[in-house]
Amino acid sequence: MTGLLLPTTVVGSYSVPDWLERAKDEFYQRRIGRATLADIHETAIKAAIKDQERAGIDIVSDGELRRDNDVDYFLERIAGVELPAPVKEHYFDYHTAVVREPLAPAEAVAMGLVDDFLFTRAQTIRPVKFSFTGPFSLAKRICNEGYARADDLVFDIAAILNREARVLSAAGATLLQIDEPFLAGYPEQAALAVKAVNAVVDGVQAEWALHICYGNRHARPSWLGHYDFLFPAILDARVDQLLLEFARKGDDDLALFERYRPPFKLGLGVIDVKNEAVEEPELVAARIDRALTVLDPSHLSINPDCGLRHLPARTALAKLRAMTAGAALVRSRYM
Amino acid sequence: MPVRLELRSTGRLRKANGAAVRTVLGSLEQALTDPALDLATLRIVCDWVQYKNNFREPVTQRPILDGDDRERVEIAIDLRRASVEQAPAEGNAEPVVLEPWGPMSASLVWSFNALYWKALGLWEALSGRTYEETLPGGESDARNADGARESILRLFRVWDGLAARRALPDQLHVLELGVGNGNQARVWLDTFRAVDRELGRDYYRRLHYLLGDYSRHLLELARGRLGRHADHISTLVLDALRPSTTLGFLRYKLFFVYISNTYDNLPTDEIARIDGRLYAVETRAVISAERAATLGVPSGELPELIRRLLRLGPELLAEAEPQRFPDRLDAVRFWAAVWDVLGLEERYVPLPPLDEYVIAPGVHGDALRSLVEGAGDVRMHVSNGAAASFLDTLPLLHPHGSLECHDLFVTALEQYDHSFRGPGKYDGSVVNWVNGSVLAAIGRRRGFQVAFRKFAHRAGSNITTMTAEVRE
Repeated sequence: MTGLLLPTTVVGSYSVPDWLERAKDEFYQRRIGRATLADIHETAIKAAIKDQERAGIDIVSDGELRRDNDVDYFLERIAGVELPAPVKEHYFDYHTAVVREPLAPAEAVAMGLVDDFLFTRAQTIRPVKFSFTGPFSLAKRICNEGYARADDLVFDIAAILNREARVLSAAGATLLQIDEPFLAGYPEQAALAVKAVNAVVDGVQAEWALHICYGNRHARPSWLGHYDFLFPAILDARVDQLLLEFARKGDDDLALFERYRPPFKLGLGVIDVKNEAVEEPELVAARIDRALTVLDPSHLSINPDCGLRHLPARTALAKLRAMTAGAALVRSRYM
Repeated sequence: MPVRLELRSTGRLRKANGAAVRTVLGSLEQALTDPALDLATLRIVCDWVQYKNNFREPVTQRPILDGDDRERVEIAIDLRRASVEQAPAEGNAEPVVLEPWGPMSASLVWSFNALYWKALGLWEALSGRTYEETLPGGESDARNADGARESILRLFRVWDGLAARRALPDQLHVLELGVGNGNQARVWLDTFRAVDRELGRDYYRRLHYLLGDYSRHLLELARGRLGRHADHISTLVLDALRPSTTLGFLRYKLFFVYISNTYDNLPTDEIARIDGRLYAVETRAVISAERAATLGVPSGELPELIRRLLRLGPELLAEAEPQRFPDRLDAVRFWAAVWDVLGLEERYVPLPPLDEYVIAPGVHGDALRSLVEGAGDVRMHVSNGAAASFLDTLPLLHPHGSLECHDLFVTALEQYDHSFRGPGKYDGSVVNWVNGSVLAAIGRRRGFQVAFRKFAHRAGSNITTMTAEVRE
């Protein structure tokens, strides 16, 4: 979408400063109000975008700074999902979420994500990527009392997200990303997750990315393993690129791309987001070079393994700078 | 003007020694009638210090510094000793001061503590007792087959689940941090092998049990006791405060970390909330003039000689000062004598803003906010060393791994109101109860559920079991 060779982007989240964490906690403790917190969020998002621009990132995001975590922001916007205890002790905790009866038809549910996109787009002239958590992972965080078949809940959420994606697309969003942070914990359900992803993207005019990692809760992996569980089911995903983590795990799984030759591009994770040591640009370049032994450069985009939310801001910025410098090193050989 | 009197260890009043406590309180009441006393600047706290060897005088004064003209003082009374010992006579000579004021975690008492573990063999040679024989009851609660079986069965359930999903690695790593003399490891490994045979899992073949300790002496001892498991163990000298520096290669790989009676032996600060304000407790190591005179070294030479002892250890000190210490055991004897008379003076200074106070690398005092804001006046340990060790161990845990720790834990801040929690001297080491609430608060922020329960396998034990597992 940028026309660039080896475009750089983020997965989504950006460093959450201590003061923002405190503000979010204070919101739940009723020490500050919703409007004040919204103001704080907007200021933090502007700073996050500025940092990405300073680092030379080609496609930027809002840093997902409004979101407490990867789930709650979406579940609390879906009518019919109950949050029995809406006040949390720590903002990053997950809500307990319950669905007691089938969700309302998608046409009746507006999550309002488009306002977040419009705000971000107004802050930058760079291309913007807008991400949201996918139906499989959202359903996994819900206590299902409303559906006889758990899969039906997944597809009803997919329909709601599809409607939201159509609104985003109509508002000008050209690059959308689905995150499935829990899929690696349920490898036997990869086919179901892919079907649900396809239901989300169905009929939406946008370039679609899908991100699957091994978890980044509290900067720790939630599972360990290899991406072979995704194949061959993932080959049916109607997405334009698949963003995976390679920096922390190593590049054994590149062999999967050599073997299956998937139709989508690879978003290559070259920055370890669970380690505060900043990579050298040469190391980033070496990681890209290894991927290039398997894939054509036109089939590669460059990103961190996952979101940067748990890294201190200076480290996050330094890592993004190393990433863009490393990508530039490789790119220069093709110029 | 009210006098603030904090009477802790209230349980003692109801026990047999209650009469002695009431005697001290009676004397106190009498003393307070002295019209020369400015009661507005006075605060009195009474503890029952259960450690026979400790760092306190029966009655001490602690200045409370507020950074203004107010000069407040806390009178601290050890009820156990004040009832039977005379307070030092007025006009005593100044003590020998061994270090400037500072947080307790920076005190040289921790150098003594480190020396004890480093030169334990020499200490034992002098005392004629192994360190485990100095424990109450003569053995550690860690050596308990029932407790080991419980944790092993839990581990097997995790492994069975991962094996069913083909997600179990070939090598199964377990770490014991702070190994004692190896008896715990022997009990655990024997039990593990028995359970494995019983259930037919073949996990023992894949097991790699790592023993990490600061003391090479203890590691050698432990290895000697684990001969039958020799193919499954590795011993590593490591600093319990920073296990990751040695074990970084095991990041996310440890399925089980076992820690016994280690956290209570790591450096800690204390903080206090007095009349709603937060203070850091500063200390300095001293030896009273009277006791210094018993050491056979001119007072003026003591601080430097003690610094050399801590820097060189008794063996090299004896080599460096053969006139004074003809034999290395003479140097050990000096070490033990100094340790015996070593005291700590205390004062209160304003605590910096919590977000500027460092609990452990990467964790600032904000993690204490909910604790201290939720409590009334309290004096508590920060357990900085335990927090550092705990936080540096968590990244080593496999996503399905767990940490189990047997130690002396304070699990609710009000427990500080009922008993003295340290510091005390335990043989040649320092002991402080570990503030479990601090570990729970910071563990939670790192995504771990931290739980406490009384040690279930020996009645009357002071030991608490802490577990930490990943939470969603």
